[in-house]
Amino acid sequence: MGDDILARYKNWLIALAFILVFVGLPAWVGNNAYLMLILSLSGIFVIASIGLDLLFGYSGQISIGQAAFYAVGAYTSAILTTKLGINVWLAMLAGGVLATVFAALVALPICKLVHMFLALVTIGIGELTHQAIINLPDLTGSFTGVRAIPMPRIGDYVFNVSSYYYIVLAVVVLSLLVKQRIVDSRIGRAFIAIRENTDAANAMGINVTYYKVVAFACSAAFTGIAGALYAHYIGFISPESFTLDQSVLFLTAVLCGGMGTFVGPIIGAVVITVINEAIQVLGSYQMLVYGIFIVVAVIYVPEGLVGVVKMIQRHLLKAVNRVAD
Amino acid sequence: MFIQLLIGAIMLGGIYGLLGLGYGIIYKTSGLLTFAQGEVLMIGAFLGYTFFKLFHMPFLVALLATVVIMFVFGFVFEKTIIRTILGGGGSAIHVVLATIGISIALQNLAAIIWTSEIQQFPPIFKVEYLEFGTVKVAPESISGIVVALASMVLLHLFMNYTKIGTAMRAAAQDSNAANVCGINVSFSKGLSWAISSALAAVSGIIIGPVYGVYMLMGALIGLKGFAAAVIGGYGNMYGAILGGMIVGVIETMAAGYLSSSYKDFIAFFVFIVFLVIKPTGIFNEKIIES
Repeated sequence: MGDDILARYKNWLIALAFILVFVGLPAWVGNNAYLMLILSLSGIFVIASIGLDLLFGYSGQISIGQAAFYAVGAYTSAILTTKLGINVWLAMLAGGVLATVFAALVALPICKLVHMFLALVTIGIGELTHQAIINLPDLTGSFTGVRAIPMPRIGDYVFNVSSYYYIVLAVVVLSLLVKQRIVDSRIGRAFIAIRENTDAANAMGINVTYYKVVAFACSAAFTGIAGALYAHYIGFISPESFTLDQSVLFLTAVLCGGMGTFVGPIIGAVVITVINEAIQVLGSYQMLVYGIFIVVAVIYVPEGLVGVVKMIQRHLLKAVNRVAD
Repeated sequence: MFIQLLIGAIMLGGIYGLLGLGYGIIYKTSGLLTFAQGEVLMIGAFLGYTFFKLFHMPFLVALLATVVIMFVFGFVFEKTIIRTILGGGGSAIHVVLATIGISIALQNLAAIIWTSEIQQFPPIFKVEYLEFGTVKVAPESISGIVVALASMVLLHLFMNYTKIGTAMRAAAQDSNAANVCGINVSFSKGLSWAISSALAAVSGIIIGPVYGVYMLMGALIGLKGFAAAVIGGYGNMYGAILGGMIVGVIETMAAGYLSSSYKDFIAFFVFIVFLVIKPTGIFNEKIIES
């Protein structure tokens, strides 16, 4: 009996262990400001990658314009708090909601496109959003950006750069729970059906257009919240943070980790953030190495790191079986 | 004012058209999407600048040398990186990502070699302006249009009146049937990437003297090349040229009569509208993937 319960709750126990490790991590690294920065940024990045994974990994629709949703979330929350003085928590939520609505409206006309053409149109959307931010100086401050974006507070306690980590951690855990719920639900199964064979899914009575729009909307909800979290964490946003490069970064994270898996986007986002920080010591060679890294990763690990782990498991299992024989 | 704008628009349109042609050729022969065209253009411009200004070669020799180098680059790129990705279980999206990686690497390689500042391409001609009545035109714009048109005509002749060109068209139409007929499909795929690179390099040398040469010069132009290809009909050679002209004219007129800060917004807006309403473009090009 005891074994049964243990087996049943195995995943939950592992998850709990991980959460405890991450809650204790700041104390362990002695609140090292730089490490805390990387951890928080990785967390924000994980949330956005979860969003793209739902869209690309599960429903099979590529987006190279996620920076648009990231930007809508960030700018909404930043403008609401700095110009209208709205509560930060509410503003962040509004950022997520507006990104979702924006994505749904955008997805409706474009979701009939597939593969390459969807990639192109999402790039167009990303670029258009970037241009819109630049050309609306009254609202977005154009190139000067939005400054002095406030930190959230609970009662009298105002979060600071270190304690913000816990907000990010909480949202990461919540996002992972919500994502898994979506994946295990009717919606998630519809996504996977559309990814595997759109025509067959349609024939089975799945409303393909509806679920494609839902996929975009869900994805943007995560990405928009991540954008809002980013804006309040850094305290300053400008159009440079929401370019094609940002969209590519999200895509790299998802592909690097492993698409359509639970841990893939987490690993990918953390690895990409850490690599980006690690190569800063290379100075002017930094981005050159980053570009080459992408090419090498695509050539040698097309299935992502999760794929590598699975491959190693398979080989180990084979070896064990051979020894057993 | 209008004539001057129009000449600028045609030159810009020619460049978008050349890039769009490159995208179309690659798509037709291998069904793939490359994101490195803008950066190949940038490298082409830098090579041309180096040969012309630093090595003091005559302009046409510099142009030819650059085109040959980038032609070989494109061929080798396809034979090595693209082949390895597709052979190792990668798909079209992996090629997209790899070409993005290559473009990031090329940008920063250029910054390391030629610094990250804007390099001035010295004037090609001794006269500063050509005067047609009241209209003053920079001779580099005219030579740019001539070179762009010449490349397009050469490509047209190559594709339609040479054995290799015909073989390439056959391979693009039905690679299996072409293979059975004894056409080297693998070679023609490599050739398509080589031609695309060469076209991008030509564009770089055309635009270098007008806008200056710098590491990010290809980023936005590369994306607008997509707009040209889509508007004309993705994969259609003549469509790409027409599409390029449309984007060039819309953008230049928007900059001339509205405001230069809106020109990119309007160009991308037209691009998206086309993708949504008529993804097959003006020439109604069949899309390979359903």
